[in-house]
Amino acid sequence: MTDATRRSPAWLDVLAVVSVVAALGFALASPRVESQGDAARMLFIHVPTIWLAYLAFGVTFLASIVYLATKTLKWDLVAGSSAELGVVFTILAIFGGAIWGKATWNVYWTWDARLTLTAVMLFIYIGYLALRRAIADPEARARRSAVLGILGLVQLIPVHFSVTWWRTLHQTNTFRPRDIQMDGPILAALLVSVAAFTVVYAALLRHRIRLAELELAALEAAAATDGPVAGDAVSPPTIGSTGAAE
Amino acid sequence: MSNRFWQQAFAIARRDLDRERRSGEVAWVTIPFGAIALLLVPLAVGINQDVLTRIGVGMLFVVVMLFGVLTAVRRTNIETPAQRDAIALLGIDPVAEYVGKSMATALLLLAFEIVMGAVTVALYGLDLAGWEWMLIVMPLTAVGLAELGTLSGAIASSVNAGPALVPLLVTPLAIPLLLGATQTVEVKAGDGGNLSWLVLMAIVVLVLAIVGVVTARPLQETR
Repeated sequence: MTDATRRSPAWLDVLAVVSVVAALGFALASPRVESQGDAARMLFIHVPTIWLAYLAFGVTFLASIVYLATKTLKWDLVAGSSAELGVVFTILAIFGGAIWGKATWNVYWTWDARLTLTAVMLFIYIGYLALRRAIADPEARARRSAVLGILGLVQLIPVHFSVTWWRTLHQTNTFRPRDIQMDGPILAALLVSVAAFTVVYAALLRHRIRLAELELAALEAAAATDGPVAGDAVSPPTIGSTGAAE
Repeated sequence: MSNRFWQQAFAIARRDLDRERRSGEVAWVTIPFGAIALLLVPLAVGINQDVLTRIGVGMLFVVVMLFGVLTAVRRTNIETPAQRDAIALLGIDPVAEYVGKSMATALLLLAFEIVMGAVTVALYGLDLAGWEWMLIVMPLTAVGLAELGTLSGAIASSVNAGPALVPLLVTPLAIPLLLGATQTVEVKAGDGGNLSWLVLMAIVVLVLAIVGVVTARPLQETR
């Protein structure tokens, strides 16, 4: 049994479930927004999912830098696992935003700067995952995807600031520390929701890294096994024999 | 950087341009392919002169981005494992190789842009007002795309799905270049917007150059 299989991340899983239940309670108990009705409660899903997409891609960026500096394969597993979660949360953010957009703007999609650049960000990391799948050698995969993991963050900056640079349909950033325009109960529910989603991300990341470690261990075990190879069935001719190989 | 570095970079660029001159891949395949794309668009959206004038510059740079990737991943730019080993054994600096390959690809892309620009003006009946910005925009786009293509080519080299993977890696990352190029030309002269878009393009080109230079050595070790 490897180190990875012995670890028990149960406490984090329990914390994730408890925090999600708490977030759900806060979200349902928060006051109704008259202008949007219950659709406004999408705030408690949409904002945390996009925050986690940023966080996940930020972790990929940092882990890629640390990998290139230390050449420790563990950091590549962190980068790859976090990117996978980032893609999942970006898809959730886009779908959640589309549902909210239909309720408030009456369209699922609009050519808004934030929406468009978020979709572009998604494709960058789909490319990152496609690259990882295409390379079998762990060392080569780690180095090459680390470069892309660093490049990917360049796109994250225009995505985040797009609502400020281009004033289009999407509202400006929800969290502006010096200018919070949100009722106390709604803000509290939002913060609990963000915290809960972050714990879920941490739990999922831990599981995914563990799975990646097991995959790597299986790969190394398979490589170390002396199995039959091409050419084993062919034996060299014996000198002095009658001519036919024995 | 030493003279030796630049000698190596120019030697790599000259070699790539010689290979392209012999094969004619960009001249006889990519350029006609791009021109056909520009011809197809009006047939798809309708032959309305107002519409064509409005979308002309945007279409030009969309074609440059999409077909420019083909220039970056042209067959003559992809080396066999034996060629890569030879370059490594010769002691060619990986950074010089990155710079040389980017220079050759940038020159080919610039030629591609000029031809596509002429085709767009002719087919879409564009007014050339504001096109003086093209003198800066086209070289910046060519250099940025070339850096991105060379970097992605190195990342995806020796990968089975490499030629299919590179466009997926390059296209989303080239969006700032596309936005910068079209907005610089289309923003009305005098309101100062052109310069900020040019700055965006210059920053992207600079970031790609830094990432390419810093990661050239680790990438060469995995090929």
